[in-house]
Amino acid sequence: MAILKVCNIECYYESTKVLDGISFSINPGDFVGVLGPNGSGKTTLLRALSKVLKPRIGAVFLENSNIYLMKSREVAKNIAVVPQDAAPAGFNLTVLDFVLMGRHPHMSRFKMESEKDFAIAKRAMEMTNTLYLAEKNINELSGGERQRVLIARALTQEPKVLLLDEPTSHLDVNNQLEIMELLKRLCLERKMAVLAVLHDFNIASHYCDSLILLNGGRIVSMGAVDDVLTSENIKKVFQVDVIVKRNPITGSLYVIPALIRRKETDQGFSIHIICGAGTGTGLMKILAEMGFNLTVGVLNAPDTDYETAQLLNIPSVIEAPFSPISEENYRANLEIILRSDAVVISSVPFGYANLKNLEAAREAIKRGIPVIVLDDIPIEQRDFTKGEATEIIRELRDKGAIFVRNEQDLLNAIFTLKKNKDSVKQEVIR
Amino acid sequence: MPQANEPDRYTKRLAKWISFLTILSLFLIFSLILAISIGPIQISLSDVFFTIVKKLLGSQAGGNPESIKETVIIELRLPRALLAALAGLALSVAGTVFQCIFRNPLADPYVLGVASGAGFGASLVIFLGIDLLLGSIYVIPLFSSIMAILTVFLVHLIAGGGTELRLLLAGMAVSSFFSSLMSILLDLAGPRAHGVFDWIFGGFPLTGWEYVNVALLAVPLSLLIFIFARDLNILLLGYEQAKQLGVEVERLRKHMMIVSSVLTAVIISICGIIGFVGLVVPHMMRIIVGSDHRILLPSSALAGASILVLCDTVARNVLRPVVIPTGVITALLGAPFFVYLLHKGVR
Repeated sequence: MAILKVCNIECYYESTKVLDGISFSINPGDFVGVLGPNGSGKTTLLRALSKVLKPRIGAVFLENSNIYLMKSREVAKNIAVVPQDAAPAGFNLTVLDFVLMGRHPHMSRFKMESEKDFAIAKRAMEMTNTLYLAEKNINELSGGERQRVLIARALTQEPKVLLLDEPTSHLDVNNQLEIMELLKRLCLERKMAVLAVLHDFNIASHYCDSLILLNGGRIVSMGAVDDVLTSENIKKVFQVDVIVKRNPITGSLYVIPALIRRKETDQGFSIHIICGAGTGTGLMKILAEMGFNLTVGVLNAPDTDYETAQLLNIPSVIEAPFSPISEENYRANLEIILRSDAVVISSVPFGYANLKNLEAAREAIKRGIPVIVLDDIPIEQRDFTKGEATEIIRELRDKGAIFVRNEQDLLNAIFTLKKNKDSVKQEVIR
Repeated sequence: MPQANEPDRYTKRLAKWISFLTILSLFLIFSLILAISIGPIQISLSDVFFTIVKKLLGSQAGGNPESIKETVIIELRLPRALLAALAGLALSVAGTVFQCIFRNPLADPYVLGVASGAGFGASLVIFLGIDLLLGSIYVIPLFSSIMAILTVFLVHLIAGGGTELRLLLAGMAVSSFFSSLMSILLDLAGPRAHGVFDWIFGGFPLTGWEYVNVALLAVPLSLLIFIFARDLNILLLGYEQAKQLGVEVERLRKHMMIVSSVLTAVIISICGIIGFVGLVVPHMMRIIVGSDHRILLPSSALAGASILVLCDTVARNVLRPVVIPTGVITALLGAPFFVYLLHKGVR
């Protein structure tokens, strides 16, 4: 049965709607991550769930009781909140006294903290690795320490639901993982329901059971990590191109931002690149940024050049891992080549598996498509076909392929070809 | 058991608190005796002590005519000293509470316009001649405290129960409004207004056991506040976190405001407007004992009482036979101290 149920809530600040039609429920032991850009309503959601900001429409239920009809004290016994790092407090308290504040909802007004309260606070501080800070003044802590102390205070409330607002935002990697591991353990061992606003996709995907993606106060996507964390969703919400992949070791998804954006300028010149094993990566980046229309092929799937092509969104012909190029892919590749303005061959090693790419280049030059060969490593040194590849390269040279020694010459050659093409076009127009 | 040392730490803290409060209490008793002994007639400390103890033990001196000394001690100086102590206690407690609920180090017992409300009430009585009409010494205190409490409600109404800042601003607005009205009325009242000036500057012209009895109200009201000490601690975290820790912030704030304002109004009605005690004492104590209201409130109460008793002693004696208003002395001593605190950087 759900411990926390959110039914169609709408929240406003004055007359501005900040949450709109939010509904979901959390079960004991769930670890839910909330993602979304700044101003998407993440923090407001936590406010609404902790009886701070009453939704104008809808209700929040804690085990079937509407929290806005419960006493704050009763809510605080069940729902604890770890706020986004509070700035140094304007008061003078020790860390232990601060953590003990978490016992407030459980304590009688006329009593001091009991031995039990101290034991609970101490355990929470051990779990968050803050016990050594107990006697320190709360104002003397670093950001990371304060964050962990805030979590300790929340655990001292002994809640069934733990809400956290960017709990790892001020921590170093080691502390981040420690805190996330702790939260995960609370879910598994104590059946605590955890809902955390997170900003790191990779942490979210690794630790959360399900995700809620917010944008503009609405839920864009919600459910299992694999369904929410897609490059389409992230592009839609964050306007960032990313690649979502699965980490082969942990099995969880990870997100890499595509840092290179294609320039909007269009050179009106398309180039097909024959490469592999990372020899084309630099070329693809440079040429893509310059605004050339690129195609690549044939590439084997797990390959640096393949990943670069994916990242840059370059249309490519892909062969299955570790397989020689099939007749079918050879034809597909050739078809693309025949539509290009030029073919570039990187200094990729050639074996029998990718020899067909050279054959395609030979076909291209036969049909009058210029071929540029990047020859910074002599073909003899990277020919694993007992001379067949060297033979084809020689044939290309005879038929007028352009040989260049480095990337600069390569670019010069490409621009010369482009100029020729443009002037031909001009003449045709005249 | 590994956690054995934690409750131990806690017993230690409790012991520390109790011993600190004991020291403050002894200091208060000493201040009272000192205050009573100094005056136009010098009385030795031991005479003061034994006379009071004898009185407390209830021996009526067997019908012997009381000595002049005894009359001076019991009928004149003791009530005045007690009044000063109660005023200091009340103002310091109210100041601590207001600084907490407004989370503003500059808050004092008068932020919600209590003082100018009371002042306006008093000057209205004098202007209309109500005090002459009814001929009772209680008229001004009664009327001014009613006005003080009405003012707080007015401020609350204007602020619409909003944020701390709204309340502060509403308090400022209402305060200056009533201050202006008071000035106009006092101007129009002519020479009769002079009686009220003493009161405005704050002092203890109204001394007598009947006033002490009224001022004793400060004790139960302060105890009532003390019950909420832990809630006040949590209020320091701000609205949101306090709510999330189970404090009904709006209700607590409202109740604390009402109790502290009544507390202040009771004192104002008898002693007039004594500044700086309620502002400075809480800061002093916060530096010494920290921000936990369970120790901060009683420490402020005891320290505030002692300080005001000593200030009043200075006020009575420094320019003898002229008695300076006590409020002038507290401001004179309090202002430089406050500058020092600011310079040091108030926590």
